[in-house]
Amino acid sequence: MRQLFRLIGGSHDIGSSRWFWSALTALAAAFLFYPLFGSEFGATNVAYYLLNIPLGLGLALLWGYGGVLSFGQTAFFTIAGYVYGIVAGNMTENSAGTVVASCAGLAAAGVVSAAFGYFVFFGRVAAWIVPILTLVLTLLLSTFLGLTAGYQWRVGSVLLGGYNGMTGIPALQVGDFVFQGYSFYYVTLALVILCYLGLRMLVNSHPGQVVIAMREDELRTELLGYDVRLQQLGVFVLAALLSGISGLLYVQWGNYITPSSAGLIQATLPVIWVAVGGRDSLLAVCIATFLLNQLTYVLSSQGNQYALVIVGVILVAVMLFAPQGIVVAIARSRWWRRTVDPNASSHG
Amino acid sequence: MDALSEVVSVLYQFGTNAVFLLLSAIGLIVILGMMNIINLAHGEFMMMGAYIATIATEHGSPLPVAAFLSFLGVALFGMILERLVIRRFYGRELGALVVTWGISLILAQGALLLFGPYMPAIAIPSGSFSLGRYSFSYYWLILIAVSIILVGALWLIYNRTSFGLMARATMQNPAMARSLGVDVEKVYALTFGLGAGLAGLSGALLAPTTSIAPFMGQQFVAPAFITVVVGGGANVIAGAVGSSALLSFVQTPVGLLLGTFSGMVALLLTALIIIRILPAGISSLLQGRSRLAGAR
Repeated sequence: MRQLFRLIGGSHDIGSSRWFWSALTALAAAFLFYPLFGSEFGATNVAYYLLNIPLGLGLALLWGYGGVLSFGQTAFFTIAGYVYGIVAGNMTENSAGTVVASCAGLAAAGVVSAAFGYFVFFGRVAAWIVPILTLVLTLLLSTFLGLTAGYQWRVGSVLLGGYNGMTGIPALQVGDFVFQGYSFYYVTLALVILCYLGLRMLVNSHPGQVVIAMREDELRTELLGYDVRLQQLGVFVLAALLSGISGLLYVQWGNYITPSSAGLIQATLPVIWVAVGGRDSLLAVCIATFLLNQLTYVLSSQGNQYALVIVGVILVAVMLFAPQGIVVAIARSRWWRRTVDPNASSHG
Repeated sequence: MDALSEVVSVLYQFGTNAVFLLLSAIGLIVILGMMNIINLAHGEFMMMGAYIATIATEHGSPLPVAAFLSFLGVALFGMILERLVIRRFYGRELGALVVTWGISLILAQGALLLFGPYMPAIAIPSGSFSLGRYSFSYYWLILIAVSIILVGALWLIYNRTSFGLMARATMQNPAMARSLGVDVEKVYALTFGLGAGLAGLSGALLAPTTSIAPFMGQQFVAPAFITVVVGGGANVIAGAVGSSALLSFVQTPVGLLLGTFSGMVALLLTALIIIRILPAGISSLLQGRSRLAGAR
């Protein structure tokens, strides 16, 4: 148990002081008690901002900690969502159907990422090839799903639906209890907290040190006896599974999914969340994912056409002026360390 | 006669596919080979080229002039962008990828806000002829000729001009080139301008064959990047030509038999297999013998 706490409090994320942990606990408590004073509609919206966090965390692990950039995380998000929809839609009679469907969705994301990652990582390609090929993968997936209109494209009783996407996807159900509204909010919150704490333990544990070592110097890691290709493949699959969790939550939240989930614009967004928050800090990515999702959701629900331009400008500005990310830049600034978090370790 | 028309038809398909891939990728591969930077705003540069060409033809200029204007306009834009943004990302290839993606978002959405969702189409110039039961467009034959001229011109630039000499020296070893008096910054700016201009030119040349819209760049993203991944950056011209020929060789039969989308999937699978065998692309194979730019 003590070992676990030491791992969570390790140095490979921002914040490790007592002050920091009290603030984070207070924040978690605020989210926990939010349904008491917020409406069910509000809780559903907040659940939407939260549900993309596992996707962002997976990309942070892959890019910020592992040094491998992927533009295709949305492909695994979409695969998990569609597979969940197909399996759950065919098992509506069975009360365990949605649980089986969740496992099937994650398994599909894992298998596709493992097959794809095998070619990419075992070929030892240059660093720029992985993002390009993952981008092509997600674009082709989106194109393919767009072509699946019509009655001949059905699996069992579920229509894939072409550009209009798949509708009527069942919500998560355990026994007779259906997770909707407040209960779905709590499922999402619990998964997000679990993912954050679990990954924080991972990056501070021995396997996590190997991941960071690969980012720093692949050759040196290999000479120390680690199979870099296999390690990178493992991190890639883990990140894909995290995207899959977000994909599952998304279809359980909105009960529909369309090919645009894998399209170019959606593929851009995770990279923006991670870059703007700070790619080598899990907490920074959580904060940025939440706030940027809220921003784009509010802007686009007002019919604001400038949403993408604003997000693009934020990204370019951050890359130019705070390349390590806004949240990380604040947390590592001298001012923050002197006044707010004096016990933070030197590399944050 | 019938057998002849079949053969000509397959060759024509092969040629048009190869030319489409080559034109989509040429600007990207020039920048990658030289500066090790992947420009994700490439599709939007092509979109800008198509827009400039559309506006120019609306004002009565013939297509060749419009295409030249596209080259100049996008090259100028590329050089300004290099000075303001790209310059800060040399040596940080993933950072460059992300920042150019941000730029592509701004350009595509900006075009939508400025010009609206549609632009008037450019009519395909010149006619077509038929052979057997197939008909062939003169315009695609012209594009094949233009591509050959373009590749020849690039070869001349890289091998017969002092800019080309300095560019190849910078490509092999920037520090050494700098110490021998090459203005490396200027070479980078001109190369980025050349790559951007080629993207604009390709966009203008392909504009009559497609619909012109703010997000039209997306359709070039997958083919262009697959061509570049397969080609690799070790030798710009060999990479672009070899890769587009090889990929067209795969795409044409699959596309004819199973449809356009299957042709694209075949491209991705080919790319995965090629990088498994030749991680640095086929240009490294061609380059391997002469060891010209093997220092990368």
